[in-house]
Amino acid sequence: MSYGSYETLIVERQGHVGWLIFNRPEQLNAMNNTMRDELADAWLELDRDPEVRVIVHTGNGRAFQTGVDVMEIATDGVGFERYRDSMEHFDVHFTAWHQQVWKPVITAVNGICAGGAFHWVADADIVIAASDAQFFDPHVSVGQVVAIEAIGLIRRMPAEAVMRMAFVGKYERMTAQRAYELGMISQIVDPPEQLREEAQKLAELIARNSPTAMRHTKKALWGALEAGLTDACKNGAKHLVDMWGHPDQEEGPAAFAEKRDANWAPLSPSESRARPNRSSGSDAPAG
Amino acid sequence: MRTEVGSFERLEVWRDGHVGWLVFDRPEAGNALDAVMFRELEHAWLALDADPDVRVIVNTGNGPAFQTGLDMVQVAKDKEALRAVSRQTRDFELRFTAWQVGVRKPVIAAVNGVCAGGGLHFVADADIVIASSDATFTDPHVSVGQVSAFETIALIRRSPMEPVLRMAFTGRHERMTAPRAHQLGLCSEVVDPPEGLREAAAALAEKIARNSPTAMAVTKKALWEALERDLTDACAAGAKDLAIMWGHPDQEEGPEAFAEKREAAWTPLDHALLQAAEETQS
Repeated sequence: MSYGSYETLIVERQGHVGWLIFNRPEQLNAMNNTMRDELADAWLELDRDPEVRVIVHTGNGRAFQTGVDVMEIATDGVGFERYRDSMEHFDVHFTAWHQQVWKPVITAVNGICAGGAFHWVADADIVIAASDAQFFDPHVSVGQVVAIEAIGLIRRMPAEAVMRMAFVGKYERMTAQRAYELGMISQIVDPPEQLREEAQKLAELIARNSPTAMRHTKKALWGALEAGLTDACKNGAKHLVDMWGHPDQEEGPAAFAEKRDANWAPLSPSESRARPNRSSGSDAPAG
Repeated sequence: MRTEVGSFERLEVWRDGHVGWLVFDRPEAGNALDAVMFRELEHAWLALDADPDVRVIVNTGNGPAFQTGLDMVQVAKDKEALRAVSRQTRDFELRFTAWQVGVRKPVIAAVNGVCAGGGLHFVADADIVIASSDATFTDPHVSVGQVSAFETIALIRRSPMEPVLRMAFTGRHERMTAPRAHQLGLCSEVVDPPEGLREAAAALAEKIARNSPTAMAVTKKALWEALERDLTDACAAGAKDLAIMWGHPDQEEGPEAFAEKREAAWTPLDHALLQAAEETQS
């Protein structure tokens, strides 16, 4: 399966691992209109490709990502108004979560991660970072509100650290080491040049697990953020039961007993998505 | 002084002073839950919760493992147990952890070795978790074609989410160490050397047993119920739990004992007050 051509992204596959790479290194991978639209397509392409079991997301150059392209905002006469409608309706399509991608997503933070970049930290399953990665949120330093990214983050890590980033703005940066201590990321790669190699290794390890069991697990766990504990467990029970009788549940123990890698059934085509994709006319900011 | 509490085949259950012990006792099988242990756990938790001399419960395992989840091969041989497990899973009516059966006393999980898959239930549903320095945590569900849901759903409420998702998706190909679990706040103490675990658990439990049993039970209720609600609703419900304790004798005894520099003589766990607290919420 070959992927569409992209101006601002690189989309490729290595074995069972799909790669989505920000490719505007001179603009520190800031998101312009084109990138926003391309992201919506790229996530869906990787999600559709039956060969892809795990997706790694990273950036080219010295930054991972730095939010919206402020140059574009400042110079094309439209400003932030381009985002008003999509944001008021929270109808946005640039992260894996927005696009309801149910394959595991690893974000590999390769450098500066600022402002809107936290969308892809908050909306990933697993996050790893190069040892020289730096995290900060300059929204309030430039007169912008931070909401969506920080709301996502305080559900998945200690709240104090998120509040501190939100209010200190551009005047302080969090190191990869601190992010690791807080459980925002689970791995620091040193030297930083080995980030992609380590991400590929981690992804290949995950690709050895049952794609269907991982899909249901991901739905159960992200769904759990929407409900109280008991209701979340009851909803989770549906995902457990959905898997009963699936061939992977015989193959898993058989492979284990025979000391070989399991030969998993391919994912069935994804169910229809709860949200329409960008063809519905979304305009969305990264921050 | 060890006093047996009930008699069980796959568990050791006893009381020592104010501390109740619930110990998985199937060491030859990694303490995996077979049909017998599955049935016995509910009775053991309820027996300890009902024993007026028990103020705090320690849960640990015999042998090198803490808990390794359901022993499906064994459970499948017992048709009745298999039906029960399937039905209780489907309806989320499992009854083998303290939270599931509604234990009101503080529960300490003392993780003495590997804690895998369904074993994570006992970490997720405990109040306090400590671990031996050689303990490890892993969730192999997706590596054998199973979905991971209940244990990890509960864990993401009490730990940063990323490490739980990593555990869920790496499956049996990775294990989290006790020091990392401590860093993340999944456990609050790592005991080294590992042989000192039970002694450390007993010392911690004895500290907790010095506090008001009724105040702890209402506190436990308020905090676990908060996981069911959004922030403002949880605080409003918690306010009722605070107020219901006002006027209770322990609230006079506490400050008096403090002023007189002696141990407080708490009243026994106040079941009527707990019942009233349940009713104010419904």
